[in-house]
Amino acid sequence: MSRAVLVDLTRCIGCRSCQVACKSWNDNPAEQTKCLGAYDNPPSFSADTWTVVQFNEVEQADRLQWVFAKRQCMHCEHPGCVAVCTVGALTKTPEGPVVYEASRCIGCRYCQYGCPFGVPSFEWDKPLGLIRKCTFCVDRAEEGYETACVKACPTDALTMGTRHEMISEAHRRINARPHKYHGHIYGEKEAGGTSWLYISPVPFEELGFPMLDGEPMDYASSVIMNATPVTLAAAVGVLSGLYWLTKKKSQAAEEEG
Amino acid sequence: MTNHWCDLQNSDCILIIGSNAAENHPISFKWVTKAMEENGATLISVDPRLTRSSSKADIYAAMRSGTDIAFVGGMIRWVLKDMEQNPGRYNMTYVREYTNAAFLIDPEFKGAPDLDGKFSGFSPGDADPNFGKYDKSTWTWQKDQNGIPLKDPTLQDPNCVFQLLKKQFERYDPETVCGVTGTDLEIYLQVCETYAHRSGPRGRSGTIMYAMGTTQHTHGTQNIRSYSILQLLLGNIGVAGGGINALRGEANVQGSTDHCLLYHILPGYLAPPNAAQPMLQDHLDAKLAGFATFDPKSASWWLNYPKYFVSLLKSWYGDNATEANDFGYEWLPKLNPGTNYSHIPLFEAMAKGDIKGLFCWGQNPAVGGPNSNAERGALKNLDWLVSVDLWETETGAFWQDPAAGGAAGIQTEVFALPAAAAYEKEGSVVNSGRWSQWRWQAVDALGEALPDLDIIKELMVELVDLYEKDGGAVPDPITKLRWKGWYDANPLPRGADSLVDLVSREINGWAETTIKNDDGSVRYDEGKLMGTFGHLMADGSTSSSNWLYTQSYNETDGNRQKWRDNVDYHPAGIGLYSKWSWCWPINRRIIYNRASVDLDGNPWDEEDFVIRWTGPEGNWEGDVPDGGWAPMNMEGTRYPFIMKPEGFAHIFGPGRTDGPFPEHYEPMESPLNPHPFSGTQNNPAITIWRPDEFGTPDEYPIVATTYRVTEHWQAGAMTRNMPWLVELMPEMFIEMSVELAAELGINNAEVVTIESKRGSIQAAAIITKRFKPFTIMGKTVHQIGMPWHWGFKGLSVGDSANKLTPHVGDANTTIPEYKAFLVRVKKGGVE
Amino acid sequence: MDLSRRDFLKISGVATGGLFLPSGTALATGAYSYPLHKPIGETPTICCFCGVGCGAIVAAQDGLVVNLEGDPDHPINRGSLCSKGMALAQLNTVDGKPNPKRLTKPMYRAPGSDTWQEKDWGWTISEIAKRVKATRDENFIAQDDQGRTVNRLEAIASFGGAALDSEECALLVKALRSMGLVYIEHQARI
Repeated sequence: MSRAVLVDLTRCIGCRSCQVACKSWNDNPAEQTKCLGAYDNPPSFSADTWTVVQFNEVEQADRLQWVFAKRQCMHCEHPGCVAVCTVGALTKTPEGPVVYEASRCIGCRYCQYGCPFGVPSFEWDKPLGLIRKCTFCVDRAEEGYETACVKACPTDALTMGTRHEMISEAHRRINARPHKYHGHIYGEKEAGGTSWLYISPVPFEELGFPMLDGEPMDYASSVIMNATPVTLAAAVGVLSGLYWLTKKKSQAAEEEG
Repeated sequence: MTNHWCDLQNSDCILIIGSNAAENHPISFKWVTKAMEENGATLISVDPRLTRSSSKADIYAAMRSGTDIAFVGGMIRWVLKDMEQNPGRYNMTYVREYTNAAFLIDPEFKGAPDLDGKFSGFSPGDADPNFGKYDKSTWTWQKDQNGIPLKDPTLQDPNCVFQLLKKQFERYDPETVCGVTGTDLEIYLQVCETYAHRSGPRGRSGTIMYAMGTTQHTHGTQNIRSYSILQLLLGNIGVAGGGINALRGEANVQGSTDHCLLYHILPGYLAPPNAAQPMLQDHLDAKLAGFATFDPKSASWWLNYPKYFVSLLKSWYGDNATEANDFGYEWLPKLNPGTNYSHIPLFEAMAKGDIKGLFCWGQNPAVGGPNSNAERGALKNLDWLVSVDLWETETGAFWQDPAAGGAAGIQTEVFALPAAAAYEKEGSVVNSGRWSQWRWQAVDALGEALPDLDIIKELMVELVDLYEKDGGAVPDPITKLRWKGWYDANPLPRGADSLVDLVSREINGWAETTIKNDDGSVRYDEGKLMGTFGHLMADGSTSSSNWLYTQSYNETDGNRQKWRDNVDYHPAGIGLYSKWSWCWPINRRIIYNRASVDLDGNPWDEEDFVIRWTGPEGNWEGDVPDGGWAPMNMEGTRYPFIMKPEGFAHIFGPGRTDGPFPEHYEPMESPLNPHPFSGTQNNPAITIWRPDEFGTPDEYPIVATTYRVTEHWQAGAMTRNMPWLVELMPEMFIEMSVELAAELGINNAEVVTIESKRGSIQAAAIITKRFKPFTIMGKTVHQIGMPWHWGFKGLSVGDSANKLTPHVGDANTTIPEYKAFLVRVKKGGVE
Repeated sequence: MDLSRRDFLKISGVATGGLFLPSGTALATGAYSYPLHKPIGETPTICCFCGVGCGAIVAAQDGLVVNLEGDPDHPINRGSLCSKGMALAQLNTVDGKPNPKRLTKPMYRAPGSDTWQEKDWGWTISEIAKRVKATRDENFIAQDDQGRTVNRLEAIASFGGAALDSEECALLVKALRSMGLVYIEHQARI
C-alpha cells in the first residue's frame, strides 16, 4: 500500500509554510538569496532546499490567475534516479518514499540525469558531496506522523493518504466543483505514475510542469544512461572539486575582509 | 472581531476588503476554504492589486487605494434600491427592530447632499478653511416627552434614518463610483448583487474581513462605518458566519488594546479623566450623562461604568484607595481636554523638544511610524531612550542610521534591554476573536534576557524606592501604588505561585473585603476571585484591573485561559469551542448575538443558530447571550445592542467627529481633484500638522500604498533576523504594472527609486500583471505598492517605505494615512 | 500506535474531503526503519506573530529549540502554521546555536558614542529609574495653567504593548499612568 500526497492548487495560498516546515524538520540552513523580480525564492532546489513554491501568473480568457505550485521530489512509482543509481544508494520503498542511503553514495550524480523533475541536488560545497532531496519525511511516517509540509499546510492544499485513495479524492473534488479545476490529475500517469499528485485550476503546461507521457522513468532513464559517456562521472568529480576550492577561497577572503 | 476565526466556516459570502487575509492571516484561509468548499460560500476580494487572497476569490474587484466609501457607499445604494423592489430578499424586521433605521432625526440636521460634502455644524479652522471642527448638536434624534427616541416603523418618514441614508448615497451610482474607484463596472455590479443576494436573505450570512487597508486612511473610521452599515442592512451582525471582523495583526494587539496602552482609554475601555473633572464624581457624572436612557427596554450596559472604574482604582492603589480619598482618583493623570496625545502628535511634540524620555516595549517606530525621516529626526531630541526588545531595532539604534549624519552629534543616552521571546516565558495573549490563550514556557530565555513583566516590576520597585527615599515631584501616585511589597513579596500575596499568576488573578479581580448577600450570607470572602463583572462594586469592596476579563480566572474554574478542551459543545455545532481558552466578555464567542434571533427568540438561521430561546419556561441555548433577558416579544426584555444607550445599532452614528454617515473624500494626496461626489476634497475634520509636506499629482502622479507579506512581520525586527524567512523574502521591493514599467523603461528585478514629497527610497522592481493601471474619471492612473518591513538593522537590510508616507491621520483615531499617497518612480537607485 | 497504523485509512479524513486531517495521522510502513531524528514537541505556545492566535508545540533540548510545529489539538490551526509560524524556532535557535542576532545582555550607548557597552541588570535598572525620576521631577505638571490638579507628565512617552503578554500590558499601563504619562501609545494606533 503506497502512500501519496495530493496537492490541490485551488487550495494553495502560496504562504510557503511547506518550504519552512521542510527546512525546520530537516534542520536545513537558509540560503543567501536575492529578489529576482518575483516572490519565488530560493529559485530552485539545492542541497539545502528540497521543496520550493513557484508563483505563476497565468492569464486565461481575460482572467488573471495567480497559481502557486509546491514542487519537490515526486517519489515516482518507477523512479529514474533509482534505476540509474549503480550502487543502490537510492531505493523505492513499498510504502512510497524514494529514500537515499548516504553511506552507499559515491557522488556520481547519475541520479540527477535520471530525474525528469530536476530534483536530486548535489552538495557542491563539500569535498565529498552527497545527493540531497526530499525524503518524504520517512522518519515521521514511521512514527505515524504526516510529513512536515503536509502537516504545516494551512488550507490542506496538501492531503496525505494511500495513492489509490488520493486519486479517488482528486476525482471527487474535480467532480464536485468542475468549474474550479482543469480536469487533469498530474502524476496519475506521468512517468509511469508518481506518489505526489496534483490537481490545478489551470493546465499544467502553464505551470511549467514537464509534459511527460506514461512511460515509466526507470525504463527511460536506463536508455539515457546507456547513451551517457562513462567519463561523465570523472568529469563531475573534477568539477565539484574545483567548485569547493573556489568557494573555500572566497569564504576565506570574506573572513579576512 | 465581532465573531472569530473558526466562525468564518459558517459564512455564505465572504467579502475581503482592506485586508489580505491569505497573506497576513494565512490560517484564516483554513476556514475560508472550508466555507467555500463545504458551505458553498462565495469569496469576493476587493484590493488595488490581485493578492494571494484575491487568487482564491470567485470575484476579484480592483479598487484604487483610498476609495472604500465610494465603493461600499455604492453597494449600500444598490441594496437600498433592491430592498424597495424586492423586500422579501431582505430581513426587514432586523433593520426596523434592531438598528436605528426607524429613528427620526432632528429636522435641523443637514447632510452631505445638502451641504456639498459636509454635515451641519461645520466651522472652518483658522489656518485653512478646508479643515475645521463640527458642532454635532444637530446630529441627534427626536425624542418623545419621556426622552425615548421617536421612530417611524414604516421607514417612510423623510427624516427617518433609513430615508436619510438613501438620500446620503443617492449620488453613489455605479458609473460615478467606478469612475472614482477605477473598478470595472460589470464586476462592480456583480459584487453588489452577489454580496446582497448571498448574504441578505433571512438565514443567510455574510462576513467582512478587514484590516489596515481599511483603517489607515484620513477617513479610516468612516470606511469601517460604511462596512457596518452594509452589514446592518443585510442583517449580518450577531449571526454565525457574519459580523464585522477586524483581522488584528499582532499576537496581543487585542489584549494590549483591552488593557489600553493608548492615551485615550484606561483598561476595559474606560476613559482617562480630564482636567475638567477634578473629583471622581465629576468624572463619573460626565460619563453617565452620555449613557443615560429613559427607555425601560434599553440595558445601556455602560451604566455600570462606576463599578468598573472604582474596581480599577482599587486594583491599582489597593488599601490606599479609600472612599475618603476618592479611591486615589486624584493620583491619576488628567488629560488636557481636547488635546490629542496619539502617535503623530507625540512625534510632533518630540520634534519640538517637548519629550525628553521614551520607552519602546517591543515596538520599532523608526520603521513603523509614518514619515520616518521626520520621526527618526525627532528621536535625536530625546535625553534618553529605553528600548526593550529581542533585537537591536532601528529605533534603539537610530544613532547608527546611515542617514543620521553620524553618531557624534547625537546626545541621547540609549538603553537596550534584552527581552525574553514568547515561548521563553509564560502568560496570556488575546487573539482577534477575543480568545485569551495561555502560553507556557518551553525554554529558558537566551543569555540574560528577561520577560518584560520582570523588567517592568523591577524598574517600578526601584522608582518607588527612589521616591520613598528622596521624595520628588508629587510622589503619591507612585508611592501609594500597590506595587512594592506586593509584586516582590515572598511569598506572593493572594496565593499566587508566580508573578504572572498574581497579575492574571489581579486582572480578573477579587473581593477586597468580605462581601455579603442581602440575607447576610457571604457572597465572597475577602480575597476570593470574582466570578463575573456583574458582581463588581463601586464602593471599594472589589478590585479588578480590567472588568472585561472578570471570570477569566475564578474560584470554580481556575485560570480559564489555560483551558484546552477542543470539543465544540455548541448544540448546532457552529464551532464556538467554548472550553478552549476563554473569551471576553464572559466567554461570549459571537457578540451582539441577541440580534441573531427574531422577536420571539427563534433564530433567523435554524441550522447554524448562535442562540435560541427554548420555550415559554425556557432559557437561551447556545452561545452566552448578550444579556440573558427574554426575547423582544416577552416581558422584561432588553434591546440587543446593549452597549448603545438607546439599545439600537447605529446606522446613523452621531458619535464620530466627522459625520453621522460616511462620505467619500479623497486621500490627502490624490490624483483626483476635484472628485464628483462633492466639492469637499478631503475629510474636513482631520488635523493638519505639516501643510507643506503634501505632494501634488503634477509632480507625483502615481498612487502608492504599503502592505505586508506573509514572510515578514510588521517593522521586521523579528523576521528580518530569522534566516528561513529572509531566504524567502530577502529584499525590499516595489510592485508595479507591466504598463508602468514599460512607460518608465524599467526591467524586472532592477533597482528603482521611489520619491514622495517627504523622502526617497530604493527597492527592487517586481513587474507584475497583478497591478493594472486604473481608469479614473476617464484618465489613466497608475498605482504601485510596496511592503514596509525593512530598515537598516538585522540580517536583511533595506529602505523603509515609511520614509515616503505622510504625517496625517484619521479624523477620529489619528491612525496614519499609510495606505494612499503619491509618488514618482525612476529607473536606478537613489542618487 | 500500532492500531492507528493499521487503521489509518479510516482516520485519514479523506472521506470528508481532506480538510482537517487529524494531525499525527498514522501511515503504514514496512521493513525499513527510520526512527524520528528528533522530538516533535510537547510544550504548547501561541504564535507571537499575527492575531489569529495559532497554537504551536515546542521541543527543547539543552536550552535550545530543536523543533517547533503546529499544535494538532488547537481548534483554529489544527496543526498547521504559516511560513512565519513555522519559522518560530529561529527566534531562539538558528542552525543548532542561539540566534546570534538576539540581545542577550543589557546594552548602553553613551551620549555622542558610536558603540554599545555591555552592562549588568542592576546598573541598568537603577540608571533608568534615575532618568525617569529626574525627567519627571523636572517636568511634572501638578496643576495646569487654570490651576486644576492634573498630575500629568508630558515629557516621557511610551510605545508598545502588542508584542507583550496581557499580564505585562496590565502591569505596564499601571506603571506608566502612575508616573503620570499621557503619551502612551502602541501598535494599535499605527
